[in-house]
Amino acid sequence: MAEDVKPTRKNLMEIEDRIELSERGHDTLEQKRDGLIMEFMDILDQAQDVRSGLSDDYERAQHKINMARAMEGDVAVRGAAAALKEYPEITTQSKNIMGVVVPQIESSRVKKSIDQRGYGLLGSSARIDEAADAYEELLESIILAAEVETAMKKMLHEIETTKRRVNALEFKVLPDLYEGQEYIEQKLEEQEREEIFRMKKIKAKKEEEEKEAKEADKAAAKEPGTATAD
Amino acid sequence: MSATGSSNPEYVNARVRARRGALYDDEDYRKLVRMGPAEIARFMEESTYEEEINALGARFSGVDLVEFALNRSLAKQFNDILDWAGGRLYDLIARYLRKFDAWNVKTVIRGIYADTPREEVETDLIRAGEFDDRLVERLLEATTIEEVVDRLSGTIYGPPLRTAYEDYEESGVLVPLENAVDRAFYENLLTGLVTNEATEQYREFLYAEIDFRNARNALRLARSGANIDPSEYYIDGGRLFSASELSQLASSPEELVTRIRESTYGDRLSAALTDLDRADSLIGFERALEAALLEYSESLGHVFPLSVSPIISYILAKEREVENIRAIARGREAGLSEDEIEEELVIL
Repeated sequence: MAEDVKPTRKNLMEIEDRIELSERGHDTLEQKRDGLIMEFMDILDQAQDVRSGLSDDYERAQHKINMARAMEGDVAVRGAAAALKEYPEITTQSKNIMGVVVPQIESSRVKKSIDQRGYGLLGSSARIDEAADAYEELLESIILAAEVETAMKKMLHEIETTKRRVNALEFKVLPDLYEGQEYIEQKLEEQEREEIFRMKKIKAKKEEEEKEAKEADKAAAKEPGTATAD
Repeated sequence: MSATGSSNPEYVNARVRARRGALYDDEDYRKLVRMGPAEIARFMEESTYEEEINALGARFSGVDLVEFALNRSLAKQFNDILDWAGGRLYDLIARYLRKFDAWNVKTVIRGIYADTPREEVETDLIRAGEFDDRLVERLLEATTIEEVVDRLSGTIYGPPLRTAYEDYEESGVLVPLENAVDRAFYENLLTGLVTNEATEQYREFLYAEIDFRNARNALRLARSGANIDPSEYYIDGGRLFSASELSQLASSPEELVTRIRESTYGDRLSAALTDLDRADSLIGFERALEAALLEYSESLGHVFPLSVSPIISYILAKEREVENIRAIARGREAGLSEDEIEEELVIL
């Protein structure tokens, strides 16, 4: 991998910049992951409470409706249920927990007063009221559970993503960058050494040539008298 | 028969006495509580419900078969009584049985409101009231609530429904219509009732019916915490409260309970009122009211054996039988224990 990089000083500077950025990103992401985990633990506690409450509410509502169906008859319960067409209204907004956008579900018209349930008060009974009450509470619990559990799932997904990014930086990106940096540094040092060696060689050769030239000049200076005598 | 002709309490009482003997006794209930829904249907098939179970067996099964067979039997028995009765006796019995007309009117209106198919609405009707089949068919054929209101113009429900229809159009909810129907039934229970020695007890029973309805509604309103004027839901004709008294008492459930305790019904309802103080549910109190009414009706039958009283007493006992069998079957289906089911039953 590192061999793919051209061992130039420019590339070394680029790698050093990327290492600095990656290290900073790694620290930040690690902090984010830890923060998310802490937030997640809080939401997890809340989700567990909501789940257990939801389970209790469901049991209670089921018992109440069974009693109402037993004592008032299935026809009466179905009739009371058919007396209302209006659905509860649910609006979703979003809030940000450490960069994770989680839903905030607002519900209205879930809990109704006795005169808003559609069926007449004069001909109905407390059993139907209590079954309706229990189901309204169950619906509110379901809405709360939907909010908390969606937040939990989104947080979990974000933690996974952040963890993968931290691991990728820690075990892949940074080691590769370090390796690349080391490779380029080694190559540059090697090139430097080769350059110094070459320079020394050139210098030695030059000195050799200079020496030879000097000796040749000296020899030439001694030769002229011999030539005159001839 | 009809309200024309002469009153025939001797004949109707003789027929009713025979029917009364066929009602389930304690031993039957003890057996039923240990059975599953299919076994209950089988048990019913071997008794007075044979015709209804066989007629409905191909369409329904399990608890639904039990419930629809019970409703059909109830309708048949009460229609027979109305057929036998004539003159003033017919009028006296029909007063009480109009509660099934009220039920049918509400069922038809709810069906139209919720776009329920006609067949399903028809299945849910209990044809035990005064309406003849032609009127019921016309109601079932109606496609709008306004048509239902128009078609009821010749009955006691016509004028109040017409007034309530305006409220319905404004609010879009069925509450005003349903309340108008129930109010028409309750307020006509005592209208024009000529009392003599023989019907005096029946009148007492009708007072109790209205008083108990007012008491339970006031308690429901008080406990719900809703900001509603209880006098809006007050039914005229009872003796326990006036509308203004009820408005005052509904803001304080304790005073309301004290008032009931100090009334003529206090002794009968004493235990239930004590429980009511402790429990946060009204169900036990409602059960006690039902038991008190049944007890009341039981005593009706013994004083004037040849009046309307034993007939009304039978009607209430039959209603109670239907409610008890349904409670057992539904309770068994929902997995309730024998003790829980027995606690819900009202048996004298």
